[in-house]
Amino acid sequence: MSIEIDTRPIWVILLLKALRPAFYLAVVLIFWGLIAMPTPEGLSIEGQRAIAIFAVCLILWVSNIVPLAITSIFAIVLVPVLGVLPKKETYALFGNEAVFFILGAFILAGAVMHSGISNRLALNIMKRFGGSPRTLLISVFLLSAFLSFFMSEHAVAAMLFPIVLEIAKGLGLKPGKSNYGKLLFFALAWGCVIGGVATFLGGARVPLAVGMLKETTGDTIGFLDYSVAVFPLVVILLAAGYLILTRFFPIDIEGVGSARAVLERRIKGLGKLSVIEYATGTVLVFTIIGWITLGEGFGLATVALTSVVVLFVFKLVKWKDIEEYVNWGIILMYGGAIVLGAALDKSGAAAWLVKSSVGNWAGSPWMAFALFSFLSILLTAAMSNAAVIAVLLPVSLGLASKLSMDPAVLTYAIAVPAGLDFMFPMGTPAIAIAASSNYINVKESAKGGFIMFITAWVVFNLVAAWWWPLIGMGYSR
Amino acid sequence: MKKKTYLHNPATLKIDLMLRGTRIDDPVVKAWACGSAGVDIMLPEKTLVNIPCREEFTRNSPYLIKKKGSGYLITDGASDVEVSLVEKPSFYNRRTTTGVPFSNIASVHGSYTVITPSPRCDFFNRSVECKYCAGNFDVTGREGVVYSVEEVLEAVEAVLKEKASGIIYFSIGFSDNDDGGLGFLKPYILAVKKSFNCLVAVEALPPKKNHWIDETYALGADSILYNLEIFDRELFEIICPGRATLIGQKRYFEALEHAAKVFPNGTVASHLIVGLEPPGSTCMGVDYLSGIGVVPILPIYRPSANRALRIEPLDTEIILPVYKHLYKSIKKNKINVNWVRDISMVTTPVELKSIVSGEKQKSIVDGFYNSRLGKKTAWGLATLRRKLRVIDRDDDSE
Ligand code: SF4
Repeated sequence: MSIEIDTRPIWVILLLKALRPAFYLAVVLIFWGLIAMPTPEGLSIEGQRAIAIFAVCLILWVSNIVPLAITSIFAIVLVPVLGVLPKKETYALFGNEAVFFILGAFILAGAVMHSGISNRLALNIMKRFGGSPRTLLISVFLLSAFLSFFMSEHAVAAMLFPIVLEIAKGLGLKPGKSNYGKLLFFALAWGCVIGGVATFLGGARVPLAVGMLKETTGDTIGFLDYSVAVFPLVVILLAAGYLILTRFFPIDIEGVGSARAVLERRIKGLGKLSVIEYATGTVLVFTIIGWITLGEGFGLATVALTSVVVLFVFKLVKWKDIEEYVNWGIILMYGGAIVLGAALDKSGAAAWLVKSSVGNWAGSPWMAFALFSFLSILLTAAMSNAAVIAVLLPVSLGLASKLSMDPAVLTYAIAVPAGLDFMFPMGTPAIAIAASSNYINVKESAKGGFIMFITAWVVFNLVAAWWWPLIGMGYSR
Repeated sequence: MKKKTYLHNPATLKIDLMLRGTRIDDPVVKAWACGSAGVDIMLPEKTLVNIPCREEFTRNSPYLIKKKGSGYLITDGASDVEVSLVEKPSFYNRRTTTGVPFSNIASVHGSYTVITPSPRCDFFNRSVECKYCAGNFDVTGREGVVYSVEEVLEAVEAVLKEKASGIIYFSIGFSDNDDGGLGFLKPYILAVKKSFNCLVAVEALPPKKNHWIDETYALGADSILYNLEIFDRELFEIICPGRATLIGQKRYFEALEHAAKVFPNGTVASHLIVGLEPPGSTCMGVDYLSGIGVVPILPIYRPSANRALRIEPLDTEIILPVYKHLYKSIKKNKINVNWVRDISMVTTPVELKSIVSGEKQKSIVDGFYNSRLGKKTAWGLATLRRKLRVIDRDDDSE
């Protein structure tokens, strides 16, 4: 158990506890107020109710007062109860392809981690390329990014953390003091964050956004198309990240001999490459090829789930082994977000919201893109990135038709920045994991992260303006 | 010069009796009441005291317990005062379903009952045991008995059913773990808290990291004791070599200071044994401990036949100022005195009130604390406080 004792005066704690029921009461009153007020012109009664549900979920998601997944379940309950969508349709939305893709990706990542192949790969790469402080740092940075192309960035951070910690200890780096110690953990965290936006697999947010896009407009984004579109962003951010980090924290050690000893010891401990590692790695490679070549035709979820079946048919993994890697909370959260998005869209609420609010500020396609990408990257610093998508995407999709924009482009505008949180541990588990090492603190993370935050937003908008037309994408349809 | 008598102030009498012991003239009473741990007697004003009565210790004591009619009195030769003998709890004669005498597991000391789930202390294995301990307690370093959770629960049930005391006090010796023995005690604490509405105290050695202290509180301990025993550093190193080398005084201070921030006011305590260091040094210890929010408890050293550790001369006139100092220091630091009360083995701050101010010890408030309602309230408040203060991070939202 992870216990903390609140040593503030008891009256302060009591007051804060009393705030919780007061908060719920306020939420109920807001909800009731939104339902009971006269329906505004141009909005249907279902639309009004959808907005009321949206407002409640928004408050609960942002405050995180109940787990995100529970807020989503609440949305699933309210949508049919208030007659926004029929119950059959509501629950059917949960069977969305994106939800199953996420499930498949979790199981695949679990199998890969459990087999040990990812660990072996990481250790060997670090040993091979980490001959000097500089190359070891680059290895950690690029490896974190590279692995996050294929696995959830959170899983990568959790997997590499003990290795990096052991290296830092092996080098005798003092927590909180050593620049190189800070560099290693920032490299781990930022590498995961940047790599996590490169493909559909870095986090479940892109599949979620694509799922919502498909549910609302029928359009979709291909596995390879997405990666090609964001590739320059990833490369530029990796370079910028490295420069910013080494400027902030100049390397302060001479050699990494003892780190190599740590790596060698760990590699020895792994023994020789097992059949299961080999076979799991092969399945993963074929899955990625399948996503690229067959994704459009058969669907990404179908490819993912086929690989899952193969893993079990060949007994490469047991259900109990991968159970801990399947984050059911995220799956429920995403299912609920899709339901809510569809409710806002089908009831006409999203279009109405756009017309009466954001639509006035976002007069042109590029402004809409800049505005939504900024909102997304800003909110993700404080909110879970899934919640950012659930909140912003339905509204932005409503705007697409008004501005004759390609809704897929607006999906990018929200899904990509939603993954780019460099500042605070509460927004991204990768940063939280790195901060738990005590080598870096929240203040340093916020300082360096702020520069990355600005850089990422500017680079992303430049990539959209300059790179996307070259690959046949544009703001407008 | 007229001989000084302490008979008319129960608090000073308690101190003098603990220091000098008492003789018992009636062989039947002696056999019945005087165990190796001394005899429990109720002095006037409901002052409970445990008095040494082994012959070698009490040969020169002026005190004598005599039968008078159906009751008893204690005399110092010049005058006397009526007292009553505290009967041994009847569960002492019973056994657990597995056949262990309850008296091996539990021993009643007034408001609390000491439960020793295992009388082991690893200091003995390393020959660094506390010098005063070897002869006084029934502790071994061997892989001795460990009573099961079920056996301990049976003992606790017997204690509570008989209303022998309301606080269950777990005591454990040194074990070479980072957790100070909490891992070992955890199932016992959890089981007692789950089964009974009673308060739990833990006497252990300081863990290496403070988070174990947080966990001790979160598990359900209402009070904690890390007994420093001796404040003077050099004497500490000589008399408690295990505590000094494997834990260190500094860690005691850190752990106690942290515990005082986590546990309620007045529930973190530490023993300073009177008689093992000069009184001035004990007073400095008292000031230090109460300054960090810890209740200093001052038991009096009881020498055994083969251990002459006592600082001489030691008599009531010399140590009374130490106890007065304790009372003043506790008051100055606003430490709640209601937790450490009605204990037979030590003089408690509540009892000291009458020595310092001349007031009667027990007030209406004291009556409330001892009542059924008072005990229920104390338990309820302790539980509520824990609910409010403990944050389980595993329980957080995504
Ligand atoms: S810690 Fe000291 S006093 Fe306690 S049991 Fe061990 S040796 Fe005895």
